Amino acid sequence: MMNDFLIFENISKKFGKQQVINNVTFPVSKGEVFSLLGPSGCGKTTLLRICAGLEEPDNGRVILDGKDITDFSPNKRQVNTVFQNYALFPHMTVRDNIAFGPRTAGWNNKKIASEVHFFLELIQMSEHKNKYPHQLSGGQRQRIAIARALINRPLVLLLDEPLAALDLKLRQRMLIELDTIHDQIGTTFLFVTHDQSEAMSISDKIAVMNKGVIEQIGTPAQIYEAPTTSFVAAFIGDTNFFEGTVSEMINSEISRIAPSDFPEITVYNDKHLSIGTKVYLSIRPEKLNIAKTQPNTDKLINIFKGTVEDIIYLGSMTKFWVTTQNYKLSIIKQHSSFLLDEEPIRWKDEVWISWNPEHGYLLDQYAETDENLLTIPT
Amino acid sequence: MKSDSSKNKITEILISAPTLSWLTVFFLIPTIMAIIMALRPSNPYGDLLPGWTLENFKTIFSPIYISVVWRTIWVSILSTIICLLFSVPVGYYMARLSEKFRKIILFLVIVPFWTNFLIRIFAWKLILNPDGLIHKTFVFLGIIPSGGSLIYNTGTVILVIIYTYLPFAILPIFAAAERFDFKLLEAARDLGATRWLAFLHIFIPNISKGLMAAAAMVLIPCLGSYVIPDLVGGTNSQMVGNLIANQAFVARNIPMAAAWSTLLMAMILLPLGLILCVKILLDKNKD
Amino acid sequence: MKYKSRFSKYVTWLVLFFFYLPMVVMTINSFNNSKYGITWKGFTLQWYIDMFNNPKILFTLMNSLIIGVTAMLVSMILGSLAAFCIHYYRTRLQLFHNNLILIQLGVPDILMGMSLLLFFISIHLKLGLLTIFFAHVTFCISYVTMVVLARLQNFDFSILEAAKDLGASWPVIIRKIILPLLSPGIIAGGLLAFTLSIDDFVITFFVTGPGSTTLPVYIYSMMKHGNPTVVNAISVFIFIATFILVFFTQKLTDTKKK
Repeated sequence: MMNDFLIFENISKKFGKQQVINNVTFPVSKGEVFSLLGPSGCGKTTLLRICAGLEEPDNGRVILDGKDITDFSPNKRQVNTVFQNYALFPHMTVRDNIAFGPRTAGWNNKKIASEVHFFLELIQMSEHKNKYPHQLSGGQRQRIAIARALINRPLVLLLDEPLAALDLKLRQRMLIELDTIHDQIGTTFLFVTHDQSEAMSISDKIAVMNKGVIEQIGTPAQIYEAPTTSFVAAFIGDTNFFEGTVSEMINSEISRIAPSDFPEITVYNDKHLSIGTKVYLSIRPEKLNIAKTQPNTDKLINIFKGTVEDIIYLGSMTKFWVTTQNYKLSIIKQHSSFLLDEEPIRWKDEVWISWNPEHGYLLDQYAETDENLLTIPT
Repeated sequence: MKSDSSKNKITEILISAPTLSWLTVFFLIPTIMAIIMALRPSNPYGDLLPGWTLENFKTIFSPIYISVVWRTIWVSILSTIICLLFSVPVGYYMARLSEKFRKIILFLVIVPFWTNFLIRIFAWKLILNPDGLIHKTFVFLGIIPSGGSLIYNTGTVILVIIYTYLPFAILPIFAAAERFDFKLLEAARDLGATRWLAFLHIFIPNISKGLMAAAAMVLIPCLGSYVIPDLVGGTNSQMVGNLIANQAFVARNIPMAAAWSTLLMAMILLPLGLILCVKILLDKNKD
Repeated sequence: MKYKSRFSKYVTWLVLFFFYLPMVVMTINSFNNSKYGITWKGFTLQWYIDMFNNPKILFTLMNSLIIGVTAMLVSMILGSLAAFCIHYYRTRLQLFHNNLILIQLGVPDILMGMSLLLFFISIHLKLGLLTIFFAHVTFCISYVTMVVLARLQNFDFSILEAAKDLGASWPVIIRKIILPLLSPGIIAGGLLAFTLSIDDFVITFFVTGPGSTTLPVYIYSMMKHGNPTVVNAISVFIFIATFILVFFTQKLTDTKKK
């Protein structure tokens, strides 16, 4: 039953004429960090608010720990929320903010005091307990918001873009802290974010959402390495897309595909698609090799010649955009050896691009508009 | 879902009801009644007669009264313009002060804003008294004849109107100027504009909302002036407000008083409508 | 600093001089031993003594205070309710509600006085303290609403959801979150209403009846027909009271900002 701790079942929601959530179903396991990831307007926050009881779904049920909580009012559910801008009570001290839930629930004073103390320690804010929210930094407010929600011992903690208001450095630190808190408390986290790196680093499982539906659910690695749709491939990291039909079966797992305006590409066809099937290939930039000299030619390796159009040096790696046969490929080269000793690749250089067919992935679903999500310079 | 939104609607109506009904009973209905009453005939003693008539409005536009309407309009517009001319530099100056001094000046502007306006008018009566220093100086300089008077004329009415409503103009202009980014003036100067040009083309357009608010805050009560012409004006400086009060308290002719009120309403709605039209036009031009 | 113009500085000081000159003249004159006019005829406290010996002043002041306090309380409740629903529910009804309040703010006193007079006469309500109270609440509501609305601009409604999420019911939310957070706005609105009510002359003048004269109405009649010397003395008192009141409200709003 671990898998069925929190279940969203056939949830739909319209705001006016706009279908914000379209028949979404998925389970969340107990104790995991589950992320809802997607661009703004994809319905992820609405889904979270439905779980919190702050919105009602038009259709469907929310089941928590075996109980249908769809019609429960927010104060009757064993879930608590960390709001996007924290929503701390400005007229209450840190301590009163944290104690708000327990006081409302009518715990005895002794228990409240000891629990508040415990959580202040947990978030390392004991010395600030008598301060007001406006006297605190963004990161500190964030921690108060988390403690204020967690003290009620919710079965699920809902986090609505909790890091969006923080700057990059702080965001990374808070991610680690969130992870630590999760390890110590063990509560199920339902985490809503539009930031793929946040979701990748903290989640046990990610549901990628787009336009009110879930495109893919999986572990961060599954989602990155084996995206099932062009949206997932393009939204999580960068990628290169090819569109073509299967033209030749080399063996049971390796096929050749023929794009309309590109030479034939060898692909790993574990889905056993037959000749003539239309396929979409996604291949991540870091899976491509770039070299000034022609690499060893294995029959199965894809090798193409191209011209360097753009270079962005990022320290640990370099991004290249190479034109080959009217295609603009994006390539990431990780620098694992001392870069200055290498012969540099320069703008307008002739280069060789190569990749192993097993490093590409055939998508189930493709939409041309998803290419807009890619960072290709023009 | 449905039950939720209808429950919401009921809560909304329940908490809106007290204020809405109060305003309907004591503001909306009386205002409409005044307009209707203006169409009722009456005899010279002010007794209400049966039927409907436009006679009251014909009286308003008769030559004896039309001059009062014109005076009300030009006095109000002139006072508003002068108020704006003074408040723009004051608002500019206040916005540029350090916080400490700004607070002090703001305090000094707010106090007259709050002081009972009867008292403020009365103070001018004292100052301009024939017994006073200003009067004597003016007589000495030959500006007025020795038997003349500084009070009880339209000039004094304008002076006291400005005195009364100037704080009302300064505050919104100051509020707008405080939000103005003064670096824009430096940018304009850097791009070669003269101080005056920068002020006119950068500062003024950016505080236009404050200017509009200030103009409305002065113009509307000016048009409805009654106490000021009553206390410091003469028979030749009456305004529409005085006629309303006269009809209500002296002539006891309620339909006539209502007719004057309706006219005053129209006089206020007209510029408001104009401002609205200008705003709509400006917004359209922006697109 | 370079752009601080000297012209605007001079205009500002000129305006302040213009604001305070009459007040100063009036204050000095309140100690002037001259029945009419402002030629100095020696120091006296006679007018202040007259003021305290005038029972009518105390009586009318009491009327003003009764109206002021009751109108303040009622308009605080009505204005806060109005502000809350205008801000919280953005429906067509609230748009009407908001416009009604805005128009009411824009209507000159004399029009309100006139139409209310007409209204009270036609429903045969005897003019007196009650009619003044009705009139005052009506114009105070709009001001309270505006002040509370301004306060609501900075009000983060997600904290209401947070409170709900943490298990609070509506009564708890109102008592522990909404009222404490809005009380500075409501109190400021109430103070404004009280001051406006105490100060009002024009509207009161239209709807006042025998025995319900308020202080401003009485001052007006003294200005027109009575002795201006006592008016001087009262004015100085009112001016000082205003000064203190403004000083404290400024202090109050200042600390609240921090």
